[in-house]
Amino acid sequence: MTELEKKKQKDKRKFALISVCSLCIFFTVWYIATAVMHLMPDYCLPSPVQVLEAFIYKLGNKAPDGGTLFQHIVASLKVALSGYVLGAVIGIPLGICMAWFRRIDLFVTPLFDLVRPVPTIAWIPLMILWFGIGLGAKAAIIFVSAFIPCVINSYAGIKQTKPVHLWVAQTFGASRTKMLFTVAIPTAMPLIFTGLRISLQAAWTTLCAAEMLAANKGLGYMIQLNRSLARADLIIVGMLTIGFIGTIFSAGLGKLESKMVKGGKKG
Amino acid sequence: MKKHFVGEKAEKTVYAILAIATFFLAWAFITTFTAAGETTPGPVEVLKLLVDSFFEPIGRFTLYGHLYYSIRRVLVGYVVAAVLGIIVGIAMGTSRYAEAIIKPIFELIRPIPPIAWIPLVILWFGVGELPKYAIIFIGSFTNVTLNAYTGAQRVDPTLIGCAKMLGTSDRDIFLRVVLPSSLPQIFAGMQVALSTAWMAVLAAEMIGAQEGCGWIILRGSDTTNIPLVLVGMVVIGVVGLLLATIMRMAERRLCSWNRMDV
Repeated sequence: MTELEKKKQKDKRKFALISVCSLCIFFTVWYIATAVMHLMPDYCLPSPVQVLEAFIYKLGNKAPDGGTLFQHIVASLKVALSGYVLGAVIGIPLGICMAWFRRIDLFVTPLFDLVRPVPTIAWIPLMILWFGIGLGAKAAIIFVSAFIPCVINSYAGIKQTKPVHLWVAQTFGASRTKMLFTVAIPTAMPLIFTGLRISLQAAWTTLCAAEMLAANKGLGYMIQLNRSLARADLIIVGMLTIGFIGTIFSAGLGKLESKMVKGGKKG
Repeated sequence: MKKHFVGEKAEKTVYAILAIATFFLAWAFITTFTAAGETTPGPVEVLKLLVDSFFEPIGRFTLYGHLYYSIRRVLVGYVVAAVLGIIVGIAMGTSRYAEAIIKPIFELIRPIPPIAWIPLVILWFGVGELPKYAIIFIGSFTNVTLNAYTGAQRVDPTLIGCAKMLGTSDRDIFLRVVLPSSLPQIFAGMQVALSTAWMAVLAAEMIGAQEGCGWIILRGSDTTNIPLVLVGMVVIGVVGLLLATIMRMAERRLCSWNRMDV
């Protein structure tokens, strides 16, 4: 047994080493292709060193896009979180109501199906025309993008409650409200969290699109503006920041999920 | 419960019709009788423009032309991404070496939304068709790869063990065990990827193009022609729905032996 464990550990170390090498090779190739061989002009693909320098520069300097990296991040977060929270707060209860009350289900579901197939990005021009280009329009677009997955997933979550569980609750004299809160909602919890995670990703993607089309601050604006200035180093800094913040968000939600969801995960 | 049982389907239809009728009536009512009508067109106006746009050109093409461009872009980018994604994903799921080499780079790139690539891609490839293919490729590639990877990784080891014990060659194990059992997962990835691709093409067309469905709505908003924006949204929604339906039908055909009972 120890022999086997030893081998497993050795394997693990070996593959970790390969991963590290692979990343190193990736960056080295990138460096050689740009800084040494100049396969692409600097304004198209800067070397990793230039990207790092641009990152450090951007931490303290407002030029050329009118804000430090930190200011752009704060601007994006403000918009993303206000739309996302609103979408979750309205979307989850609506999904639960649609699944729990027959009449709401019959009446609202067709309307919802009518709106759902339109990708959120297609809402951007309409929202801009309705709300202008301030916080309102962007928050509204992100609201739409977060709202839809929240509704779908909490609806599906409640619908998958086993009738047997409900019958047991009924036999023991639980009221319908009590059944909803003690049986159906806990059953739906994992799917509700899936919805929250999907909508977070959607919200973050949509935010980039919204900021690229109409904004004067934010990460999406930053990369779009730097394109017209042909500053690829700053674009890459922006892209990596967007990706990094998205990762932090989903990690945070994962932590919250493991705290809030009762019972084991289903395979 | 019994009362509902007989006419459940009929009841559903009645309610659906009622709901949609209410929606359109409310829309028509609000736009005709309140101040909202000054900025937002009524349903009749939108429908008229929708019918017209099949015959009269918007910009350079009629609606058919725009649809043709958008769908062609999606198909080219998507097909390339699906083929490559399945290969890379399965390679990562079956070989630990491939996994160790590709995964760190993949994880570095994956969290960046496809839309955030648009500026860089435009800088690289200009404004022709190539940047649009590239953006759609990026948008669908990560989804397909990730799902093919988990699919191939989650193949029941007992099945592989059985096949090995009965003397199956490595090639046959791959073709007859690994591939079929990861197929449902791959299809799930391809479905998500298709809707991402449809979204990505809109974004790409809104940021740099002279034709396509995304361009229609942007044009509408640039000229404050809200009926045109709404026509664009309707068309986009319908096409998105059609693509999803086609995908679901293909899945039912190809994975009928492995229906997941959801």
